[in-house]
Amino acid sequence: MKRINWTAYAQSLAAPLLAVGVGLLVGAIAIWAVGGSVGTTYAEMWKGAFGSFYFTASTLTRATPIILTALGVSLAFRAGFFNLGAEGQMVFGALAAALAALYVPGPGPVKMLAAVAAGMLAGGLWSLLAGWLDTRFRMNLLITTLLLNYIAVYTAGYLVAFPLKEKGGTGGAQTAMLDNSAWLPKLFAGTTLHAGFIVAIAAAVLLALFLTFTTKGYEIRMLGSNPLFAAYGGVKRGQLMLVSMLLSGALAGLAGTFEVLGTQYRYIDNMLTSPGYAWSGIMATLLAGSNPIGSVLAAILLAALQTGGMGVERNTEVPLEISSVIQSSLILFVSARITFSFIKRRKARAANGNAA
Amino acid sequence: MLLQMEGITKRYGSLIANDRVDFSLQEGEVHALVGENGAGKSTLMRILYGEEQPSEGRIIVGGRERVFATPSDAIAAGIGMVHQHFMLFPSFTVAENIVIGREPKAGVKFDRKAAAEHVKTLSEKFGMPVDPWAKVADCPVGVQQRIEILKVLNQGAKIIILDEPTGALTPLEVEWLLKAIKRLAKQGISFILISHKLNEVLGSADRITVLRDGKVIGSVKASDTDAAALSRMMVGRELAKFERKPVVPGEAILTVDNVTVLGDRGTKPLLDRVSLTVRAGEIVGIAGVSGNGQSELLQVVSGLRRVHSGKVTLGGKDVTGLSAGEFRRAGLAHIPEDRYLWGSAKEESVADNAIMGHLASLSKGGILRKRLIREKVARWIDAFRVKTGSLETKAKHLSGGNMQKLIVAREMAHGTPFVIAAEPTRGVDIGAMETIHEALLKRRDEGGAILLVSSELSEILKLSDRILVLYEGRVAGELSAGDATEEKISFLMAGGSGNETH
Amino acid sequence: MGTLLDWSLLSATLWKVAPLLLAALAGALCARVGIFNVALEGMMLIGAFTAILGNDLFGNVALAVLFACFCVGLVSLLFAYLTIGLQANAIVVGMAINFLANGLTAFLLYAIFGVKGQYRDSTMSGLPQWHIPVIQDIPVVGELLSGHTPLVYLAFVLVAVLQFVLFRTVIGFRLLAVGENPAAAKSLGLKIRGYQYGAVVFGGVLCGLAGAQLSLGQVTLFTENMTAGRGFIALVATMLGQSNPLGVMASSLLFGFLDTVSTRLQGSSIPTHFTMMFPYVMTIVVMLFFKDKTYLRQSGRLDGK
Repeated sequence: MKRINWTAYAQSLAAPLLAVGVGLLVGAIAIWAVGGSVGTTYAEMWKGAFGSFYFTASTLTRATPIILTALGVSLAFRAGFFNLGAEGQMVFGALAAALAALYVPGPGPVKMLAAVAAGMLAGGLWSLLAGWLDTRFRMNLLITTLLLNYIAVYTAGYLVAFPLKEKGGTGGAQTAMLDNSAWLPKLFAGTTLHAGFIVAIAAAVLLALFLTFTTKGYEIRMLGSNPLFAAYGGVKRGQLMLVSMLLSGALAGLAGTFEVLGTQYRYIDNMLTSPGYAWSGIMATLLAGSNPIGSVLAAILLAALQTGGMGVERNTEVPLEISSVIQSSLILFVSARITFSFIKRRKARAANGNAA
Repeated sequence: MLLQMEGITKRYGSLIANDRVDFSLQEGEVHALVGENGAGKSTLMRILYGEEQPSEGRIIVGGRERVFATPSDAIAAGIGMVHQHFMLFPSFTVAENIVIGREPKAGVKFDRKAAAEHVKTLSEKFGMPVDPWAKVADCPVGVQQRIEILKVLNQGAKIIILDEPTGALTPLEVEWLLKAIKRLAKQGISFILISHKLNEVLGSADRITVLRDGKVIGSVKASDTDAAALSRMMVGRELAKFERKPVVPGEAILTVDNVTVLGDRGTKPLLDRVSLTVRAGEIVGIAGVSGNGQSELLQVVSGLRRVHSGKVTLGGKDVTGLSAGEFRRAGLAHIPEDRYLWGSAKEESVADNAIMGHLASLSKGGILRKRLIREKVARWIDAFRVKTGSLETKAKHLSGGNMQKLIVAREMAHGTPFVIAAEPTRGVDIGAMETIHEALLKRRDEGGAILLVSSELSEILKLSDRILVLYEGRVAGELSAGDATEEKISFLMAGGSGNETH
Repeated sequence: MGTLLDWSLLSATLWKVAPLLLAALAGALCARVGIFNVALEGMMLIGAFTAILGNDLFGNVALAVLFACFCVGLVSLLFAYLTIGLQANAIVVGMAINFLANGLTAFLLYAIFGVKGQYRDSTMSGLPQWHIPVIQDIPVVGELLSGHTPLVYLAFVLVAVLQFVLFRTVIGFRLLAVGENPAAAKSLGLKIRGYQYGAVVFGGVLCGLAGAQLSLGQVTLFTENMTAGRGFIALVATMLGQSNPLGVMASSLLFGFLDTVSTRLQGSSIPTHFTMMFPYVMTIVVMLFFKDKTYLRQSGRLDGK
C-alpha cells in the first residue's frame, strides 16, 4: 500500500500541463491573427514575467492577492458553495483595513494588526451575509454573491469619493496615505514583493492541512461532496456553511488588506477591480480544482501571464489582452477536465463491445 | 416463435453479466424470468430493449434477426418495457404520458383533445380504465402502472417487458394486474415478467426461466414446478435454516409518541399520529408498500426531518427536534435506505466514507488520527469482507454490494444501543445478505434495539420479533413474530384494519 | 429632468427591458431542458461586440444582427458541447465562457479596432426606430408603443411565440418532457441531447439579439464589459418567472423598470454610485420577496467539484 503510484502522479501533472499547452496554442493563434510573431511575443511574455529578479518579484507580488482569494474561493467550493463574491469581499476588506490603519491609534504593529483584523472581518461578514441569505431565505448563493459585488464596489467607491476622501488631496477617489510604520515590510529591497506573499503561502499550506487533517476540514469536504451524506452523518450544514463563507470572505478580505498595507498604502477606488484580482482568484481555483496548493501554482501562473502580458504590450505590437485570451482558454479547457476520463470510459466501453 | 434470444453474452470488463443466455417467447405467452439480485435478469432485458448492446449473441423477432441500438429500435420492432421505476412525467396528464412520442397533431399543434379521446378508446379496448385528464402525480401507483402499460400498448408493442411490476403495489392492485396480464395475453400480447416473487410468478406465468450468475439454470412450465423447486434453482443450494435465539426484550430504547409529519403543501399528513417502541434485544420490522411513510419515519427517528407534533425519545433522552448529530450522540447508528443518496460520498475515499459519524473517537483536539483511522477501517473492511483496492480508492469504484457492506460495517462499529436498518440488503448478493443479517441478529442478541424497514417481506419475516405495518402514514397494525404470516401482513399493507388480527 | 414618473419612463422601460428579456428567455429555454446557463452574461457580451463588428464589416444593421446571432450561436454550441456532450459541470463551464467573453472581446477590440476600453464610430448607424403608423399618433399609447427598435418588438413577439411553442406544440411538449424526466424521455427514444443542444443554441441566438440591442439599439458603441451583470439579472428573471415565457416577461419588465428608474435618478441629487447600485440592490430585494421554488435553486450549488 505504501508503493508510490507514479503513473497517477504523472497523470495528475499531465492534465494541467496539457491545459497550459492548449492555452498557449490558442494564444499563438491569436498572436498570429493580429500579425505578431509568436516566438518574439512569448519570449517577451517570459521576460516580462520571470526575465529578471525584479520582474519575478513583481509577478509574485501580483500573485499574492490572487492566491489568497483563490484559497478563500477554494474553501467555499470545497464545502459546495459557489461563492462568486470575492471581489466585493476583497473591496470591503481593503477599505476596512485602510480605515483601521488610518484611525486606530498606537504604534505601527498595532495599526497593522488592527488593519488585518478589520480587513478579514469586513470581507468575512460581507460573505457571511450571502451565506445567511441562503440559509435563512434560501436565496441562490451564486446570484447573491455576484450582486453583492456590485453593491460593495459602488458603496466603497462612494465612500472614498466623498466622506472618506483624503482631505485636501489632489488625487482622485482615495483615502489618505497610511503612516509608514503600518506598511508591510518588503521581502527584497528594490522590489515590490512584500511580506504578504509569505503569509499567502503559509495560508495555502495551512488550508491544505486543515482540509486533510482536521475534523472540520473533513466535514467541509463531505458537505461539498454529498450534502445529504453529511447531514446523515450529523454534520450541520447551516452552521458549517456560515463558517466556511465567513472564512472564505475573510481570506478575500485579507487579500485586499495586503494590497493596502503592502502595495498602495491607501485605499484607491478601483485599485482591486481594474486588475481583476478577485476574478483571477476564481480562475485559479477553477484551474486547480479547488486544491489549495494547486491554487498557489495556478495563481502564480495567471499572475505570470498578466505581468508577462504587460511586457508583451511594452515591447511588441500585440496587446496586453492576449493574456486574457490565454487565461480564458486555459479555464475553458480545464473546465472540461472530466473529458479525459469520459473519453477513456467511452473507449473502454467500445472495446468491450468489440471484444466479441 | 415470436422472439428468440440466442447465446446472449454481456461482459463488463472482466465481469460476465450474461453468459450464453437463450431465451424465447411465443405469441400470447407469459414468460417469467426469475433469479436473485445480480443474476443478470435486468441486463438481459436491457439488451432486448436496446439500452445495452450484447457482447455476443443474436436477437430474432418474428423470424428476422434484429440489432437494437437504441430503445427506439426495440419499440419499432414491437417491444415495450415497463421499468421498475416508472418512466412517467408527473406534472403531465395521463393522456400526455400515454401518447408521448406519437402525439396527435393539428398542424404543428399538439391536439390534446384528440389525445384524450384516443386514450379513452385505448383504455376501453384493453380494459384498463384511466382518466385521461388527470395529472399523473395525483394517480395512485397502481394506476401509474396502468398508464405505463397503456403507453407501451399505444406504441404498438406486441411484447411487453414488466420489470418487477408488483414491487410497489398493494395486494389488491397486484391481483388486478395479474388478471389484466392474463386477459391481455389472450388478446395476443406476450409478456416477459421479471420477478423474484415466486408465488406471483407461479400464479400468472406459463413458463419460467431461472437465471443464476448470468447463466440459464433451467426453463420450466409453471404447471410442472413449485416454489421450493424454483428457489433451489435460484439459490443453488438449500437456504440455511435460521434460528433466532429467544431474547426477553429489555427497556425501551426508542419511543416514538404520537408523531405527525405534515406534507409540504399542507396536504394529508405523511405520518399520522404514529407511535412505536423499540426495546433492547428486539428487532422491530416495519412493513408497508413503499411510499406509505417509511422514508419519513426513518428521517424522523434519525433527526433528518422535523416533526409537527409528537415526541421522540432515544435512550431515555428527549431528542424531538434535535439534529442528526444529537441523535447520533444519543446512541443511533443508521444504515440508510439509499446507500448513494444518503449513505456515501462517491467522489471521496473509502476511508473518508468509513469514518462518517466516528469523528469523536477518531480525532483528538479536532485533528484526525490518521493512523488509528487506517487501523480501524482496515479491521472493519476485513470483518465484512469488503472488496476494495485500498483505503484511498474512491468510493464510486466499489460495487453496490461492497459499498453496502462498508456502510453496514461503519454503522455496526458504532456499537450504539439503537440501530436503524433500512433496506439493509437491497441489491446485494446472497453472501453479503447473510453477513448483514448475521450482524443484525448478533447485535440484537447482545441487547441492541433494531428498527428494520424493508420492502422485502421475507426479510421482515426472517428477522423481526415484532412487525408494524404502515399504511398511508399510520400504523395499520402490529403482529408478533409468531403470528405474522405473509397473508396477514399483505392484508394490513392494503389498508385492512388491524383490529381483527391483533 | 421633470417628474420621476411619467409615460416616457414606461416607454424607456420597454427598450431597456429588451436585452434583459431576450437573455432571460434564453435562460428559461435552457432551464426547461435542465441546464443552468450562467453563461448568459458572456454570450450577451459577445453578441454586443460581434454586432458592432458585423456592422463595421457589412455596413448593414440587419446583417450585423445576424452576424451577432451566428457568432453567439457558435459560442453556445461550445457551451453545449462541453456541458451536454462531455457532461462537464455547467456552472464551471458557464463561468469559463464568461471569462472567455471578457478576454476575447477586449483582445479583439484592440486587435480589430485598435482601441481599448470603448469603440464608437459616429458614422455607424444603429438599429432603426420603427414608428408605427396610426399608433404613434395616439397620445400616451403612441409614446409608449411606437418608436422602438425592431428587436424590442421582436423580444415581445418571441415571448408569445415561445409560450405557444412550449405549451401548444408537439416539439415544445417533447422539450418539456426532456426537462421534466430525462431518463423517461430517453427510454421513449426521444433524442434528449438533440433537444438540449437545440435549446442552448437557440438560447445563444437570443443572447446574440440581446447583445445587439445593447450595442446597436440603445447606443451605437461597444464598451468592455458593457453587459455589467445584466446576464445574471436575466438569470434571476428566469428563476422568478419560473421559466415560463410570460412569467419571465413579467419579471424582466420589473427589472427593466428598476433599471430605468436608476437611470432616471442619475442627475438628481443622489450620488451616481447609489443610482448605479440601485438595480442590484432591488434585484436582491425582489429575490427576497419572490421565492424561487423551482429546481433551479438547487442548480446553484456545485455538485461534487
